[in-house]
Amino acid sequence: MSTRLVGSVAATLVMVLAAGCGGSSGADGKIELSLGLFSDFGYDKLIEEYQASHPNLKIEQRKVKMEQHNTQLATQLAGGRGAADIVALEEGVVSQFRASKDKFVNLAEYGAKDLKDQWAAWKWNQGTADGGEFVLGLGTDMGSLGLCYRRDLFEAAKLPTDREAVAKLWPTWADYAKVADQFTAATPNVKFVDTGRNVYKAILDQTEEGYFAKDDSYIAEKNDKVKTAFETAAALGVKQQTGALEPFSQEWNVALKQGSFATTTCPAWALALIKAGAGDAAAGKWDVTTAPGGGGNWGGSFLAIPKQGKHPKEAYELAKWLTAPEQQKRIFKETGNLPSQPKVYQDAEVQATVNEYFNSAPVGKIFATSAESLKPTYRGTKDSKVGPVFATALTRVEQGKQSTAEAWTQALKEATDAAK
Amino acid sequence: MTAVRTETEAAPAVSVSSSKEPKRFRLSHWDAKYTPYLIIAPFFVVFGIFGLYPLLYTAWVSLHEWQLIDGNQGFVGLANYAELFGDPKFWNALVNTLSLFVLSTVPQLLAALGLAALLDRGLRGSAFWRAGVLLPNVISVAAVALVFAQFFGRDFGIVNFLLGLVGIDPVDWRAETWASHLAVSTMVMWRWTGYNALLYLAAMQSVPRDMYESATLDGASRWRMFWSITVPSIRPTILFTVVTSTIGGLQLFAEPALFDPGFAANNSTGGSDRQFQTLVLYMYEKGFRLFDAGYAATVAWMLFVVVLLVAIVNFTLTRRIAGKE
Repeated sequence: MSTRLVGSVAATLVMVLAAGCGGSSGADGKIELSLGLFSDFGYDKLIEEYQASHPNLKIEQRKVKMEQHNTQLATQLAGGRGAADIVALEEGVVSQFRASKDKFVNLAEYGAKDLKDQWAAWKWNQGTADGGEFVLGLGTDMGSLGLCYRRDLFEAAKLPTDREAVAKLWPTWADYAKVADQFTAATPNVKFVDTGRNVYKAILDQTEEGYFAKDDSYIAEKNDKVKTAFETAAALGVKQQTGALEPFSQEWNVALKQGSFATTTCPAWALALIKAGAGDAAAGKWDVTTAPGGGGNWGGSFLAIPKQGKHPKEAYELAKWLTAPEQQKRIFKETGNLPSQPKVYQDAEVQATVNEYFNSAPVGKIFATSAESLKPTYRGTKDSKVGPVFATALTRVEQGKQSTAEAWTQALKEATDAAK
Repeated sequence: MTAVRTETEAAPAVSVSSSKEPKRFRLSHWDAKYTPYLIIAPFFVVFGIFGLYPLLYTAWVSLHEWQLIDGNQGFVGLANYAELFGDPKFWNALVNTLSLFVLSTVPQLLAALGLAALLDRGLRGSAFWRAGVLLPNVISVAAVALVFAQFFGRDFGIVNFLLGLVGIDPVDWRAETWASHLAVSTMVMWRWTGYNALLYLAAMQSVPRDMYESATLDGASRWRMFWSITVPSIRPTILFTVVTSTIGGLQLFAEPALFDPGFAANNSTGGSDRQFQTLVLYMYEKGFRLFDAGYAATVAWMLFVVVLLVAIVNFTLTRRIAGKE
């Protein structure tokens, strides 16, 4: 009895351990590859196709929410197991993971450097380290900036509704603030913009250096551009022209559905989120135009390969294929994720793409133009630690908990601690 | 218990054929001596792997500068603890945790006691009511938090709508400290009151009924009977719930995390000014957002100490209040 018990316990343990070490070669001899993704990369059809042309592969997508994805990946890298063969790294956190680059495969070993010219130079640089010697990830999409606005709400406020005319209203963010005043004067019960935080982020994304100088030194306290961006956004909050919403949260979705704000900054990937939140009832009411202050980039991702994976070569081939120009073009047509490769976004077919939901706005043209004039911001290693501090500071202003000066002082103090 | 069983089993073996089967005797002797240990061993093995080892490992990590992904960056002794004691964010989180704990646990246990007393009176369809009070506890915390987050919405929440009906201005539930604590506590109470009520009810059912009968004959009121018979009789259960609620209340995480819309956006500070950031939320922020595992481990150990202290205080207090044996 007792020996049998010990035996069965031992057997169970062996089984558990075996399951834990689960090999990545399936029972049918196929090589199993997994992709760790968040939100929608538009890979479903492409992967089916790739599997059809590579019968020895079995590819699995794991999709989770972005925050969960990052945390999970960090623990998997720390534990040395469990990470997918290919993982997506979002632009905001790529610098954080770059600091642990020895947990990743240097894609240059597989010849990634030859692909360099496919991408916009800044996009390529964001995915590399050691002056380009270490290739961490291959770029997927990018998030060049546009501005979305509600035509019906603009009309109610006696503002122009045509997207060219609207773009002319706000060449700069100061002009944007003036439009906000006009809008609020005409329709005081509707918020002009969803959140000051996204305005702040957009302004900052249009500068080449934000919290960190290009040598990775912390400069937030002496960089006037950070302060100007903060004050511009905070002023909207003080005048209660913002909805004080957490971007992309449940409340943000409800506000979209209720039509309680009139504008929002929108990188290409945000269009799908707005459409999902506002629903069919708002079809044709939203429109896209040029953002004040020129081009900027927010978001976009990279595909990287953790070292712990068993099939780095196959993984690299797949990542290379998924990020190749032909595939980026197809993804754009399917999901609207903007390609990060000039040849693709300059492509006539891409440029001619319109988005019916957004009043048939020529999104291909708008985002490609924005991409052309884009000055990418240098993201410091600790950018993802410092950024949220300023975001919550703006929320405090919007909530009326603090004055702009108080919020700024506290944010600077916290940011300096975080950047240590 | 085990000893009794072994005696009866071993006795015939000795008397009938003691010389023929010494081996069997030895086996059953061995059985008597070691089986109990073997049977309780799985608990201790599992506890050792999932309880003790992480506890000690966390202590080890807290003595180092430890980056989440890259691991050990060198021994720093008690530097993390020294930093922690001077960290206003830690004290803020501690105060929030204690405030949320008191706000949710005290009314919760009192309500559970009352609810159990009502259920104990033999209502019609008692099974339905008993199952009903447990229902909130069965529902996943994420679903509860999602629904409550909507109830307490600033612009379109039901609570603000109802307040508006009686002429109260809408409350920004996430911006104000007291409002956020109230909202989060409500969530905790909703989930755990029924569970504790059922525990109390089970204990109340074993209170001898004749005690109530004689008390009734003596002319005692229901209120008097409740405090003089029911509560002292279920004292062990009250102690148990106080200790478990203390542990649960001080480790509050999911409710405030999901109440904070920033949580989904990798920006989880428990409110714009950390109004409802609990210790576990702070630990999460340090460890999993800022990747500072060493400091997070320090917070975890301090939390362990706080839980231990509060549990001891509560245990002693409740033992006094609920009467001595």
